[in-house]
Amino acid sequence: MALRVRLHSIPAALTLLLLVACTAPASSSSPSASADVPSTSPAAAAYPVTITDDAGREVTIDSSPQRIVSLAPSGTEIVCALDACGRLVGVTDFDDYPAEVSEVADVVIAAQVDVERVVAAEPDLVLAAGNEITPSSVIAQLTDLGLTVLVLYPESLDAVYADIELVARAIDATAADDLIGDMRQGVDAVVSAVEGADRPRALYEVFHAEGATYTAGEGSFLASLIELAGAVPVTGDAQGLLAAEELIVADPELILLGTASYDPSLADPEAARDTVAARAGWAELAAVRDGRVVPYLDDIVTTRPGPRIVEGLEALARAIHPDRFD
Amino acid sequence: MRAATVAPPLALGPGLGRSTVVIGSGIVLLLAVSLAAVAAGTSGVGVGDALAIVAHRLLGIGTVTWPLSSETIVWELRLPRIAAGIIVGAGLGCAGTVFQALLRNPLADPYIIGTAAGASLGAVGALLVPTVLPIAIGGWLGLGLVQIMAFAGGLAAVLAVYGIARGRGGTPVVTLLLAGYAVSSLLAAGVAMLMFVSGDRLAAVVSWLLGSLAGASWPRLAFAAPLIIVSFSLLLLRWRGLNALLLGEQRATHLGLEVEREKRILTGLAALATSAGVAISGTIGFVGLVVPHLLRLAFGPDHRLLLPASMVFGAVLLVLADLGARMVGGIPVGVVTALIGAPFFLWLLRRSLVVHD
Repeated sequence: MALRVRLHSIPAALTLLLLVACTAPASSSSPSASADVPSTSPAAAAYPVTITDDAGREVTIDSSPQRIVSLAPSGTEIVCALDACGRLVGVTDFDDYPAEVSEVADVVIAAQVDVERVVAAEPDLVLAAGNEITPSSVIAQLTDLGLTVLVLYPESLDAVYADIELVARAIDATAADDLIGDMRQGVDAVVSAVEGADRPRALYEVFHAEGATYTAGEGSFLASLIELAGAVPVTGDAQGLLAAEELIVADPELILLGTASYDPSLADPEAARDTVAARAGWAELAAVRDGRVVPYLDDIVTTRPGPRIVEGLEALARAIHPDRFD
Repeated sequence: MRAATVAPPLALGPGLGRSTVVIGSGIVLLLAVSLAAVAAGTSGVGVGDALAIVAHRLLGIGTVTWPLSSETIVWELRLPRIAAGIIVGAGLGCAGTVFQALLRNPLADPYIIGTAAGASLGAVGALLVPTVLPIAIGGWLGLGLVQIMAFAGGLAAVLAVYGIARGRGGTPVVTLLLAGYAVSSLLAAGVAMLMFVSGDRLAAVVSWLLGSLAGASWPRLAFAAPLIIVSFSLLLLRWRGLNALLLGEQRATHLGLEVEREKRILTGLAALATSAGVAISGTIGFVGLVVPHLLRLAFGPDHRLLLPASMVFGAVLLVLADLGARMVGGIPVGVVTALIGAPFFLWLLRRSLVVHD
């Protein structure tokens, strides 16, 4: 008994790593989203459509999906941004945007996919998230039950655009080009706003536990956003883990507390600064000495790889270069 | 032995009649719990439709008045889970009884001599294969590999432990326990190491280690069920050997039992049942530890009754616990087995103390 109890308590603590999973890169290189249908094809797609999803799976969709289940908020936001919100028949209990999805039944509760509820929703398309955000065992189970599952896991802005196009093809939506055009414009606006500004070494705190800080993983989507927003990201390993000593060596000039999005006690800048200054070794970091510890309240839009990722990028740029957005 | 003769707390009459009553009522209870489990779920499919679907699929009677999704929910989701709960629960109950008698240790459970750690290492290693190999491995092969590796790991660990503990004069129980503990610790270190490098597969690893019947499906059952059913059927026939071992190995020898051979057979069969169960459900704690104790406190230590009863009530506990786990947002079933079983066990423990005063 004792042995198994120990085995279980280690993962319990490590489960918190999942918080970072949505920003960390997949260790196996997944092929980028592509579609076999020529991109010049007219809007009214001819079904069946065969597309390749972000997990490298070939997915054939027989007819235009009218009952869509989304197992991750980013998928929900893509469907709604493509004007297909009305076709959603199942979402997660974490979905909060747009407001009308609160009317849709929850099939993912407390991060657990309720397979029975998914089946009961009778979906003709299920949008899952890759990199174990939707467990691969659940994806396999849903596929075995005869459901059509499309796995989305974009790891860059271009991949987000590609996923929007992929979903648009899958569900026969026409709004993709306008949406992606607007997003590209938004990104360009942010990039030109911060052009020429000093680029501080920035630590984005995703999660902090005794002695371990999770930040943007090396080569991760979040790291690339921080770079676009006009800073040099202080990165951890592939999972975003940054050891205390490495942090002190990296000596960030700016600390963005993504954790403040979920912890009201960090929302006040002075309280936030005091909190991090009290951690061993942190008081000597340049960011803490110079008072550049920023409670960052837009973690959700910054780490949710959907259409609002541009808002997330702009929020990052504003936090890093407030003077450029007056 | 004394507990049975002096004060069987829930005595139900003498001899064979009592066994029939105990097993019979256990089976009735199991049917009732299974019925509740087939009728209850998080979707709207209720008792009426659920029963009609089962009748339609099994007996071909009735007309289809329900949507296809209801049939999928009842036939592909709920029933395989119930069947897996019955089979794994029965296997764990039975294996726990065997190990407690064989090792003469009240803390023994089906996992004690390496099964859990070996199966965990096998399964976690298999879960990480897609990460290690840059080849896309299909979901089916991935799942199949996890089960096969868990099964093989569990059995291999027990074989290793038994081999290490076996000396010229036999296999002393204490050596078996200590070797089991040491091998388990070694394998657990391997599991911890793999978890540390598991990266984005960690969630899959954790959910396997916590144990769950959520992945139950007919094909998986087709793999594990025959193994478990064969091993507990053979174990049921060996109640005399277990009763003799309760007296101590020396006396069992005097009674004409080939003790070492008996121990090997019992260990092998119990490890087979446990490993096959772990392969399809992960390690589910508590059932195999507490069900045998519960029944021993209630009905005494005669394995002629204890073995079949621990199977039936192991199945009851696991099906009931899994129903609870399903209804409460998919929490790990091992948590529920402990939540249901522990208070009842403690109550029975207190009650039997009073009787013995």
